[in-house]
Amino acid sequence: MTILCVRFQLPPTDEAALPGLLGLLEDFTPVVEALPPDGALADLRGAERYFGRDAVELASVIRVRALAHHGVDCAIGAGPGPMLARVALRDARPGVTCAVPEDAVAEFLAEKPVAALPGVGAATARTLCEYGLDTLGLVAAAPLSTLQRLVGAKAGRDLHEKASGIDRGRVVPNAVSRSLATERPFTRDELDPDRHRRALLSAAEELGARLRALDKVCRTLTLTVRYADRSSTTRSRTLKEPTAHSAALTRAAYGMYEALGLQRARVRALALRAEGLDPAEQASYQLTFDPLDEKARRIEEVADRARAKFGPRAVMPGALAA
Amino acid sequence: MPGFTHLHTVSGFSLRYGASHPERLAERASERGMDALALTDRDSLGGAVRFAKACAAAGVRPLFGVELAVEALGLPGSEEPVRRRRVPVRGGAFVDESTPRVTFLARDGARGWSDLCRIVSAAHAGDGPPLLPRGDNRGDGLIVLLGPDSDVGRALAAGRPDRAAGLLGLWREVYGDSLRLEAVWHGRKGTGPGSLRLAARTVGFAAEQRVRPVLSNAVRYADPGLGPVADVLDAARRLVPVDATKELDSGEAWLKGAGEMGRIAERVVEAAGFRRDTAHRLLEQTEAAAAECLVDPEGDLGMGSVHFPEPHLVGAGRRTAQRALASRAVAGMVLRGYDGRRAYWERMHQELDIIAHHGFASYFLTVAQVVDDVRKMGIRVAARGSGAGSLVNHLLGIAHADPVEHGLLMERFLSKRRLVLPDIDIDVESARRLDVYRAIIDRFGSERVATVSMPETYRVRHAIRDVGAALSMDPADIDRIAKSFPHIRARDARAALDELPELRQLAREREKYGRLWELVEALDALPRGIAMHPCGVLLSDASLLSRTPVMPTSGEGFPMSQFDKDDVEDLGLLKLDVLGVRMQSAMAHAVAEVERVTGERIDLDALDFERGDGDPATYRLIRSTETLGCFQIESPGQRDLVGRLQPAGFHDLVVDISLFRPGPVAADMVRPFIEARHGRAPVRYPHPDLEGPLRETYGVVVFHEQIIDIVHIMTGCGRDEADRVRRGLSDPESQGRIRVWFAQHAAAKGYDAETIRRTWEIVEAFGSYGFCKAHAVAFAVPTYQSAWLKTHHPAAFYAGLLTHDPGMYPKRLLLADARRRGVPILPLDVNVSGVAHRIELVSESGRAGGTWGLRLALSDVHGISEAEAARIAQGQPYASLLDFWERARPSRPLAQRLAQVGALDAFGDNRRDLQLHLTELHRGARGGGGDQLPPPLLNVWDVPPAGGRKTAPAGLPDLTSAERLSAELGVLSMDASRNLMDDHREFLAELGVVSARRLRDARHGETVLVAGAKAATQTPPIRSGKRVIFSTLDDGTGLVDLAFFDDSHDACAHTVFHSWLLLVRGVVQRRGPRSLSVVGSAAWNLAELIELRAEGGLDVVAARLAEPVAEGDGGDPARGRRIQMSTGYELNPWADLRPAGQEPSQVRKLWHQSPGSAG
Repeated sequence: MTILCVRFQLPPTDEAALPGLLGLLEDFTPVVEALPPDGALADLRGAERYFGRDAVELASVIRVRALAHHGVDCAIGAGPGPMLARVALRDARPGVTCAVPEDAVAEFLAEKPVAALPGVGAATARTLCEYGLDTLGLVAAAPLSTLQRLVGAKAGRDLHEKASGIDRGRVVPNAVSRSLATERPFTRDELDPDRHRRALLSAAEELGARLRALDKVCRTLTLTVRYADRSSTTRSRTLKEPTAHSAALTRAAYGMYEALGLQRARVRALALRAEGLDPAEQASYQLTFDPLDEKARRIEEVADRARAKFGPRAVMPGALAA
Repeated sequence: MPGFTHLHTVSGFSLRYGASHPERLAERASERGMDALALTDRDSLGGAVRFAKACAAAGVRPLFGVELAVEALGLPGSEEPVRRRRVPVRGGAFVDESTPRVTFLARDGARGWSDLCRIVSAAHAGDGPPLLPRGDNRGDGLIVLLGPDSDVGRALAAGRPDRAAGLLGLWREVYGDSLRLEAVWHGRKGTGPGSLRLAARTVGFAAEQRVRPVLSNAVRYADPGLGPVADVLDAARRLVPVDATKELDSGEAWLKGAGEMGRIAERVVEAAGFRRDTAHRLLEQTEAAAAECLVDPEGDLGMGSVHFPEPHLVGAGRRTAQRALASRAVAGMVLRGYDGRRAYWERMHQELDIIAHHGFASYFLTVAQVVDDVRKMGIRVAARGSGAGSLVNHLLGIAHADPVEHGLLMERFLSKRRLVLPDIDIDVESARRLDVYRAIIDRFGSERVATVSMPETYRVRHAIRDVGAALSMDPADIDRIAKSFPHIRARDARAALDELPELRQLAREREKYGRLWELVEALDALPRGIAMHPCGVLLSDASLLSRTPVMPTSGEGFPMSQFDKDDVEDLGLLKLDVLGVRMQSAMAHAVAEVERVTGERIDLDALDFERGDGDPATYRLIRSTETLGCFQIESPGQRDLVGRLQPAGFHDLVVDISLFRPGPVAADMVRPFIEARHGRAPVRYPHPDLEGPLRETYGVVVFHEQIIDIVHIMTGCGRDEADRVRRGLSDPESQGRIRVWFAQHAAAKGYDAETIRRTWEIVEAFGSYGFCKAHAVAFAVPTYQSAWLKTHHPAAFYAGLLTHDPGMYPKRLLLADARRRGVPILPLDVNVSGVAHRIELVSESGRAGGTWGLRLALSDVHGISEAEAARIAQGQPYASLLDFWERARPSRPLAQRLAQVGALDAFGDNRRDLQLHLTELHRGARGGGGDQLPPPLLNVWDVPPAGGRKTAPAGLPDLTSAERLSAELGVLSMDASRNLMDDHREFLAELGVVSARRLRDARHGETVLVAGAKAATQTPPIRSGKRVIFSTLDDGTGLVDLAFFDDSHDACAHTVFHSWLLLVRGVVQRRGPRSLSVVGSAAWNLAELIELRAEGGLDVVAARLAEPVAEGDGGDPARGRRIQMSTGYELNPWADLRPAGQEPSQVRKLWHQSPGSAG
């Protein structure tokens, strides 16, 4: 009963507020794992004794503080391990903390749908449901070999353990934010490749600026295209070298977009996500004899300063000015 | 002021391009003072006949033409390299419309028209979108307009007059003096199509090249303000949304009058650098081009003349067709044993005279030839329609029933005074209809045969889908809105929103969708596609292809005329209706099944039922009203009528079928007939002379033939004239004239005024309602045959029905009926089931020959292909799952489905274990699966596969009984193992629901609760002009027929249309011992209640029932608006529509989808 899983009720575009909220959790324990975009795991093993309250009571304190300090509500699940805390979070609402009783883990899990387990995605859940294993109780009762035949040897063993309530995970403190995302919605079905490219350019510019502001570089860029029928296509590309340089990000985004070859697809939004963030000072940078690259970076630096002083629209690519 | 003729005008028959109907264009041209108008649709002449008729009505001379995409005539080396684009991961590629388009006009009468037909057919001959090949791009009878979209126009737009000159040279080589350059100004900017600069360049270029220019407006719609509709059509054609930031339709492409076109001409010549007064030369050239196009609709299109296949093709040899017909008729007399009867001889000669008078002998021989061919192929065939009234048809073997015996009249079909083409329809087995078409094409050759097209026009649902997609609406919203509408005309969309109770919810958010409704209504009835008509076949002489444009049908590649069935009649093309009747296929299958298992051959056509009493057991079945699946008498209304009428012989069936028509029902001929038949009312005749024709129907007029006889007897005018009079009755104007005429002649024959008045009342009330007895006799034959099969070979009958799925009810209802009639339903089993439904001997005891069961068919499994089904059936039997997998090679989803419904139960008890084994077999077949376990076969089988019939258990939970039922519904769309309502007996008992069986004993006026699965919902036209929703529920013990009158629609309509399982409170209505229905007053979605009961118990159910129902004004939603039918009776505007909601036969899911449900 020592791990809390917290989900802050952030508006979808306000991912940037997460670091501050994690700081709030760190007031209670140093062992905090961020679950972007809006959640976190906190190990309160030491804190319970220090504060003289159990985890559920601390959860109420955390909620009060989040509301008082940040104006953000949150839902909290509590359990003996991180997996169980996350399962518990599914049943929690703001104000109602759901806790997994330590001595009745199996009973708690038995009635839950398989998709409640962290790590069981849509595909695995579909496979399991197809074979009638729709609750964790049934999964736990099924022979291990059968599970392994269904989902594979390692995944089957994991699944069996988790469904039986064996939680081997730990809370691993990690950097505040492992990724940055931005989205450009369209007001109607947009087919025009020029407007798509403009949206990508502006998104990549924004990501670059945000990365540089945090002194980070990203290793991977992910493009998500959302369509009118609510489906989407996702493509990821690992950059040649970790960077926060807007031009490099834009190039990568354009490359992924061109590879899709979209013609009649009714695009409703384009989203870019920078993943694998590392501190900028640890990044390697291939020097070239080409002065252009160097110049572009220096201009970017100047532009960043201008933006810091005169607002984000002070300097921008010509294509976006119109 | 000189006139102006639009040479380039498209109508709605340019699919998803033109926005106005041809009729509207002709009307507007006449209103705007034009003498002539051309119709030049894209890739189609389909609108030509309507256009010609509309022009004749409006007093405008029609010009015919077509706009085609043409293959480049080719400057050597000028072809652009093809740039291949990447295949899109989503959404598909753009629709390519880059091919240049040219307008062709027919100039020289019949030659011009036949050239048009030829190039249109040639353009459609290739694969892909229509494109006129280089080699076919010629024709002496044509004028060619090279407009902005032609290759020449494009070169000019690109500022390349040199290139344009080169291209023009190529055109000039082919068409010489018939070439015109077309200038169009739509007020656009730049140099593209529709810009002033391009128009001016065109005129200047024409002067320079010494080619005559013409002015046109490239018309797409009749009236100004239709630009947004054109945008929607463009979007629907290109499958993209309307993009307001791109170039939209200019709104100028309407049918402008002469004055406005004159001003355009002035601007264009001015911009070209000429003096303003040269504009009249441009207009003169346009008029001159129009004057050259002389195609006369009567003479040159062949309207009004008739073309039959040549006599030598229909077995006449060197004789004339008439002599061949006469000798075949005589042979028929001898063959059928009528040669000793004088009446038959006289009738035959009389008919032959009439046929000779019209010169229709080839027609009869053609039909006889087709029927002979079909019969030789072993396909069941029957004639229907008024053709059954002709003895010659009977003698030729076209019609079964003997017209003399049944009192059918030749005059109803053909007489010296009838000028329209006679009409013989033949019914064949639906499953083999295309074989019949192929046989006809082989017999007469593809140059004489073509199928008839059928434009698919926009109705409300499609219009909403296309407009919604063009306006970038959310696809989920579009789908929801489209599905909530009944299948009505698009132009009624807003009226329906205002008036229909089931749309009230949608009406509240109508403002949200802005221009949607307006645009939806604007699309009304525009063609959006063209399909093969399901029954018409054109037969003509060898000149067919020069009179009709032909394109291949998409599926089968049959030649299909671009004209629809009305057009071809106007064109004088002989159309034979070959209808595929599923009941004929079903009966053929049933007979074949009986022969397969018992060796007994049943000849349905030899059942001697037309004379005498027929088979008493069959009539007992019919009288019991358990006629589900029987031809023509299975609908709720018919079951009710059969119950009241209690037919005892073939003639009663004929009457029954004739009475169940909107006309007789509306004229309330049903009640007096039934009263008189059961002796509750005396039989009355207006005059003793009329007893002859009226005796058979107890003095009530039911048939057309009776009216003909009455008029004939009273006035002595002859039956052919009487038939003309009968036709005149439907027209209120001529009715007045006929009345005077009738009174005069009847008085002259010595009838007193009172008799004349009373007879006229009957004749007048009858109008043209009644039914042609020849039709009814032709219908009654399969009705009796199907009822006979149901009585004597029920299992085979159901096997036939389920295989060919005829009728109005979903398959699961037939299955429920079979269960009730004691036919065992045998589950699907890969070792026993065939491709089609079969019968199997279940036990030797019981009825004569033992009890036969119905074995479900592989072809009913969702998603099975014909090849897969055939492979499974061929490989039977299978020793084990592995054996099945290896030899039948089912696809993985198919194998899973088979396991779910228990078709593989022979190989293991647990269906989920079987599924797992199948998945692993599949994985193994694909060659190893990464981190998977070692090859599964080694540890799956307890014993080595060779000897193992059962598979080893894997410890998965088996399907529960509810899951099995759900799987059956999902995979077979039938609840095969038991009725789905059986699971809810307990809850229904708690509610106090009356079962269908117990309902039979309910009192009239009693308020009851009934429940069941909805089987069919209709809103037919009824006499009172109100909208009534009829629905049928099946609860496992029988059927409950429901009616909802308009005072309950506010509360019930939405629930009834959109739920599958219903709980209904209503009042029992009894009209006879076997006639019973429930008038609903409240309806709930039973599925929802069942779920509430399971989750929250009875209290939650009570809370749901306590919720107030939607209250409306309760009045007539149409506010007294009625549609006046041509036959004179009134109809509620929303009656007779396919209602909203999902078709019950499409339901594949149980009411709820639990996370654990199979698949």
